[in-house]
Amino acid sequence: MSTPVSDSASRGAPSSAAAADTVVPTGHDMPRGVAALVFLRDRGIFILWLLLILVFSFWCAPYFFTWSNAMLIANAAALTAIFAAGVGLGVMSGVLDLSLPGTAAFCACLTGWLAVNKGVSLWIAVPIALVCGALVGVVNGLISLQGFNPIIVTIGTLSVLTGLASVITGGLTIPGLDGLTFMGTRRYFGVPAPVYIVAALYLVGTIFLTRTRDGIRFMAVGGNAEAVRRSGIHSDRYKVMGFVISGICAAIGGLVATAITTEANPDASPAIIFSALTAVALAGVAMSGGRGSLPRVLVGALILATIANGLIIRGVQTYWATVITGVLLLASLGLERFIQKSVSDRLMATSNLSVHQKKV
Amino acid sequence: MTSTDVTTPALDLSHIDLHYGYVRALADIDFHVMPGEVVGLLGDNGAGKSTLLKVMSGAHRPSEGTIRVHGKEVSFHSPSDASEAGIQMVYQDLALVDAQDISTNLNIGREILRKGPLGWLGFVDTKAMRKRAESELDRLGVRTAPMTRPTEMLSGGQRQVVAVARSAIRVSGDANGVLLLDEPTAALGYEQTKLVEGLIRRMADQGIAIVIVTHNLPLCHEVADRVVILNRGRKVADVPMRGTDPDHIVGWITGARPSMFEDRAS
Repeated sequence: MSTPVSDSASRGAPSSAAAADTVVPTGHDMPRGVAALVFLRDRGIFILWLLLILVFSFWCAPYFFTWSNAMLIANAAALTAIFAAGVGLGVMSGVLDLSLPGTAAFCACLTGWLAVNKGVSLWIAVPIALVCGALVGVVNGLISLQGFNPIIVTIGTLSVLTGLASVITGGLTIPGLDGLTFMGTRRYFGVPAPVYIVAALYLVGTIFLTRTRDGIRFMAVGGNAEAVRRSGIHSDRYKVMGFVISGICAAIGGLVATAITTEANPDASPAIIFSALTAVALAGVAMSGGRGSLPRVLVGALILATIANGLIIRGVQTYWATVITGVLLLASLGLERFIQKSVSDRLMATSNLSVHQKKV
Repeated sequence: MTSTDVTTPALDLSHIDLHYGYVRALADIDFHVMPGEVVGLLGDNGAGKSTLLKVMSGAHRPSEGTIRVHGKEVSFHSPSDASEAGIQMVYQDLALVDAQDISTNLNIGREILRKGPLGWLGFVDTKAMRKRAESELDRLGVRTAPMTRPTEMLSGGQRQVVAVARSAIRVSGDANGVLLLDEPTAALGYEQTKLVEGLIRRMADQGIAIVIVTHNLPLCHEVADRVVILNRGRKVADVPMRGTDPDHIVGWITGARPSMFEDRAS
């Protein structure tokens, strides 16, 4: 390794939003091959997305590469992106929360019921929904802390919440929530409202994960809870926090879905959690936790929407979008394993050298 | 050793007994370590070294006996009690956060916050933390990789160094603490073992009291001032490393050589 150690500090100074994902550090201080591989691992999804845009721009010209189509894609990706943020943040902290669709349906129906049946102002009903999402997370977290498998626990709460949503609404949808269009179909400066919500959610989430003490610990607990515990930190608190953040994201997702259709639907759609999981997996967020970045999750959601959009423009049956997404996901797994192996081979070759460096 | 003038042991255990049901895992053990001293704790499998280490680290409570830290009697109910008293354990499974860099691993739990309103919101000062981690590793003489390197991309020796340094930093505060190392060089190659040995000696020179549990006699030869040997839950030898015949040590470990303290056996 010829890089002087003092240069390593200059790795920081990330300016753009994409570069803000310093959670998995980039490899500017590595041997050259490793640096390139780590770059591919951490930034590969951005390259993939740009490639997709490039291909569709030519293949679907002149309809694809326009401002209005970009807004269509962004809007189509918004709902997946919100849930993907919930799933992604949960997985990074080491919990997979499958109750998200139930939380979303429950919170949406609660808001609808309060607003329509009880005449509560939306300015009160919407915050109540968000608090409810957080409370669901606390319950999920406290049950999981008893040593039960989070997946089973959240399947249980999914069932409970879906049932409760139907109980609230009497099994029917609650229509007439026109007051929510400000966060649904309304556009501001030509950009649909959900896109702003996604942007704000990911910005706050990314800053939280990479810049704040709690975010860094949150991520570390996902990576190795024991290490954090031995550093004298109550790691349990951060596990519950994972569920709470997931729950809040689900509540936001439920509200946005309700706002778009202006009716609160008690039928939870488990499909949303799978498209969210696809975006998360495509973004290279390790299911074992402690690894990943939100900007990549966002691009994962955008890739799903971009593929669907491009194929629709070309008149290809939409089923093919699902097929291509699946193939991409499997290919990304293969690529990740290849990179992992190459990096460790390269580091093995140089590890003994680096031990000698700066030995006092 | 810089701190030979200090006469109070950093950690002093006397008449420690520990029973697991009918099994007497530790029988009337006396053990102490001075500030700046490296004590090797030797013994065959099942001799009770790990159990004794767990008593020191607060993971086990002894059935009988007293523990003193810097002369003050203490009673540990959990590892965090021991940690608060200035005793840190480095386990064999290093427990590093693999995906995070060296700086984060060293700073977690004692992060530096930014000044001003951003600090109130919990924003960390990454640069300051890197600088501090760098200077702390420099002081230990083991800065072998950039602070921004994720620990999963370090060699085994470097990972061990980071894990030991993380604990060393936490005990070298106001009063010099005690560092308990469980097989610190297991699974390390020759060069990497040398790196860790150097680190152990330098920490001792800075006044940290160090207890090493190991099977590795050459390691003790390199770094230990004194060795304490256990056999079937009893202390059978407590001798300075220098000038002791290695064959005698092996004899004590295997039980072929009679205990130095036969008169005290019950």
